[in-house]
Amino acid sequence: MLKDELKKGSTEFLLLALLESEPRHGYDLQKLIESRSKGVLTFSVASLYPLLYKMEAREWIVGRWVEKASERRRRYYDLTPTGRLALEEQRLNWREFVAAINRVTGVKYA
Amino acid sequence: MPEQFNWRDAVRSRVSTFGLHPSAEADVVEEVTEHLESQYLELVPRIGADAARAQLLAELNDREFDETAPLLQKREHIPPTRVLGASSFWRDVRYSFRSFRRTPATLFAGATALALGIGLTTLMFSVIYGLLLRGLPYQRSENIATIFRADPQDRGQEDLVPFSDFVRYKSTQRTFAALGGYASATVNVSGGQDAERARVARVTAGFLDVTGVQPIVGRIFGVDDNIVGAPATAVLSFAMWRDRYQLDSTVVGQSINLNGRPFTIIGVMPERFEFPQRERMWVSLQLDPAQFSAGQGLGLTLVGKIRTGISFETANHDLASISKQLAKENADTAAVRDFARPYVRAMVPTRVYALLYAMFAAVLLVLMVSCANVANLLLDRISNRSRENAIRVALGASRGAIFRQTLIESGVVAAYASILGVILAQGGIVAFNRWAADIRADLPFWMDVRLHVPVMLFVIAIATVASLLAGIVPAVLSSRVDPGASLKLGAHVSSTRRVARIGNAFVVLEIALSSALLLTAGFVTTSIVRINDLNPRFRTQDIFTARVTALTKDSAINKTRFEAIESALANTPGIGGVYLGNGIPGTGWSGTRVAIEGRTYDKPRNRPSSRWLAVTPGFFSTFDVAVTRGRAITSADREGTLRVAVVSETFVQRHFPREDPVGKRIRLGDDAVAEWATIVGVVPTMFADSPDGNWPTEVITALWQERQFNNVAIALRGPEESVSLVALRKVLARVAPDVPVSDAATMPELLSRATWPNRVFGGMFVIFAIVALLLAAIGLYAIVSISVGRRTREMGVRLALGATHANVVGIICREGMKQSTIGIAIGFALGAALTQLGRAALFEVKPGDPTVIIAVACVLAATSLVASLMPALAATRVDPARALRAD
Repeated sequence: MLKDELKKGSTEFLLLALLESEPRHGYDLQKLIESRSKGVLTFSVASLYPLLYKMEAREWIVGRWVEKASERRRRYYDLTPTGRLALEEQRLNWREFVAAINRVTGVKYA
Repeated sequence: MPEQFNWRDAVRSRVSTFGLHPSAEADVVEEVTEHLESQYLELVPRIGADAARAQLLAELNDREFDETAPLLQKREHIPPTRVLGASSFWRDVRYSFRSFRRTPATLFAGATALALGIGLTTLMFSVIYGLLLRGLPYQRSENIATIFRADPQDRGQEDLVPFSDFVRYKSTQRTFAALGGYASATVNVSGGQDAERARVARVTAGFLDVTGVQPIVGRIFGVDDNIVGAPATAVLSFAMWRDRYQLDSTVVGQSINLNGRPFTIIGVMPERFEFPQRERMWVSLQLDPAQFSAGQGLGLTLVGKIRTGISFETANHDLASISKQLAKENADTAAVRDFARPYVRAMVPTRVYALLYAMFAAVLLVLMVSCANVANLLLDRISNRSRENAIRVALGASRGAIFRQTLIESGVVAAYASILGVILAQGGIVAFNRWAADIRADLPFWMDVRLHVPVMLFVIAIATVASLLAGIVPAVLSSRVDPGASLKLGAHVSSTRRVARIGNAFVVLEIALSSALLLTAGFVTTSIVRINDLNPRFRTQDIFTARVTALTKDSAINKTRFEAIESALANTPGIGGVYLGNGIPGTGWSGTRVAIEGRTYDKPRNRPSSRWLAVTPGFFSTFDVAVTRGRAITSADREGTLRVAVVSETFVQRHFPREDPVGKRIRLGDDAVAEWATIVGVVPTMFADSPDGNWPTEVITALWQERQFNNVAIALRGPEESVSLVALRKVLARVAPDVPVSDAATMPELLSRATWPNRVFGGMFVIFAIVALLLAAIGLYAIVSISVGRRTREMGVRLALGATHANVVGIICREGMKQSTIGIAIGFALGAALTQLGRAALFEVKPGDPTVIIAVACVLAATSLVASLMPALAATRVDPARALRAD
């Protein structure tokens, strides 16, 4: 499991990335991160929602109540244009960061 | 199926400490609950219910979750309606106007009902203010006092203060800045042009200073003017200056003749100055104080202005210590007390005070009825709007905002109503003043009934109180709306029912108040009818009266003159009866003390008093008065023959209960050496003085046996065209062209002057009661209509199940009549109390008169029946099929 510090800095990036393709609700996001990271990254309601609400306050994402047929009413989060810009910037930073690490450590991915 | 767990409660209790806005809290509870429920469903099959629940609860209670609180507070902070903000206040006012534009009928009905209440209250207050509260139109008029003498041994009857005592007061007192006395008289004015009769006040120095009003020309009286032997001086009123001297500025120094004696004019008072009572002129009173011992001298009414900062109590204390000193010098006045009272309070009879305040209480009741009406209208509105208010609360409006919104609506109604009410009051004031001018009674000169500034402030105050009274209950009810319950289907019915219960209570209140008023009005109306039916026991129709005054001081010459006038009138065709006397029966009797031969009296004042007229034989034929025993006064009863008197039956009952009065002798007046008069006949007791109270004893003597002749009252009987002022002047022009004629009036006019307070104020009472009854009937009608609307479905079912129309009408009317009966019962108890207050307006009616109570109850029952019958009949037109489909 990753250290908290690292996790916190990157989880916003993860959530933005997950919301890029389609709007998702909180539990969906938690499950996706868990399954895609194969259990390395885990969330609980206590860690997920402060993050979502913070991002919403920054106007990166927006939550809407959606009722789908044969489903319960859920709050779906979607990227805002600001959120999209933030995602691009974070991707860029991440690439630069990874490249810098690589240059220093000489680690090469196949 | 995994074991159920109530995640919602868990989340809610976790979040409840965050202090979020309800809508933000609801959102987060729903979102997190949904999350946890979904996760729980997936976890239970893998790790079991207990472990799953423990894990998720641990996660939920993680301190990290607290970080959501500040974020949610920020995110969901939609500011609620600010209750005290100015901008939202105007928004609410605009909203009220908009919503009233959609339902103008409510605004119109409410404002009209309240305007009636406000209008009547304002009218009544402006009368009270103009007559009683405003005071005299002079500087520091609240300090102006009048001083009366009261004798506790003589039933506290008010008396004048003798000149000698006034002189002592004036020199000894320390509490009055100005003190003066006056005695009014009516004199013949001549010199210059026409002779005229004028009201003149003989005054001491200091009298005019009490008012602080300065003359516009010349000066007012100084101490020197009161010295015997000084030139006699006079001050003119503006009216006298205008009418006799055409506003001539050189009038000062000119001479004017009063009763043949010359007076030098020294000044002119400003326009409308008529203190103390419609005076045309003021002359200096010249009496020598040295001639009178304590308790002697001309009786004066004293007026004074108390020094600034000194209370009436202190002033009276000062007077009392002087009185004590005086009592030591004169045993006869040992018991009397002189006391100062505020001028207006002393001059307006207590019964008028009581009457005006009783009427004010009555209009306040009308105002309350109209407030209850507005409250009911607002209740109906909020019950129709409970859904709207629920949505507003759900959307974030605070309850305070809803509360205020309803109060503002009642304020808007009150604002319209006060404008309308002031217009109504102004109309009433115009009518009141016109009537006051018509009545030609001696109304107080300071009475000024207008919309004065304090009256307008009063309007604002009562409009505010009325809007609070009318709005408070609807406002509380509207803010108690429960969004959860109200938004459910059919919830409308239950909230309407609660509102209707309170509405019913208002209607009971309205009926109670108007019953109380109507009961009082019933008594008052009955007494008006009795007054109009009053049998004075003498003829009043086709009788014209006037007063003529002799010009000389010589009674012998005057007597010859009057005899010539009598015979000239008697010989004029068209005049059926001629009466001359010292007064007119009814309100024009003189008063005198009577001594009966053979009875002893310790003091002159212990002799009984009686009404007295000195008449010509024409009295009996002109007024159709017939003796029941003995004989009337005839033309044989002249000077030099046996002095005779005729007494009334009341006089006989009081003084000769078991004796034959004919042949007994009495002596009139204070003079102990006056000639005895022998009683020769008895007449029925006639109406004298005022319509209420017991009719006093009466003595009639022969005019031509009197010694003093200054002026006589004349009564002429005949058709209107033959007996009038014109006809009288025509005859006088032949026999006595220079005698002034005054006080011309017909007999019915004279009598109506005596009874006007009862008729006018009584009439106003009746108007108040009718307005209140109408308002209550409308209120009852509205509440029954609302109830019928609510029960449309029920009535439909009843009709469908075979109820007849009569059954339906019966059910609805019973409901209306139930409220009426409760209301009437409460109202009659209240009315009994109110009638005690309004007793002053009652005449020959006892407050408990059963015929009045029954009549009023019938009117009330009939009105209530009509008010509930109308909506009940509407209910029978319900089509069962449609009613069942409704809602």
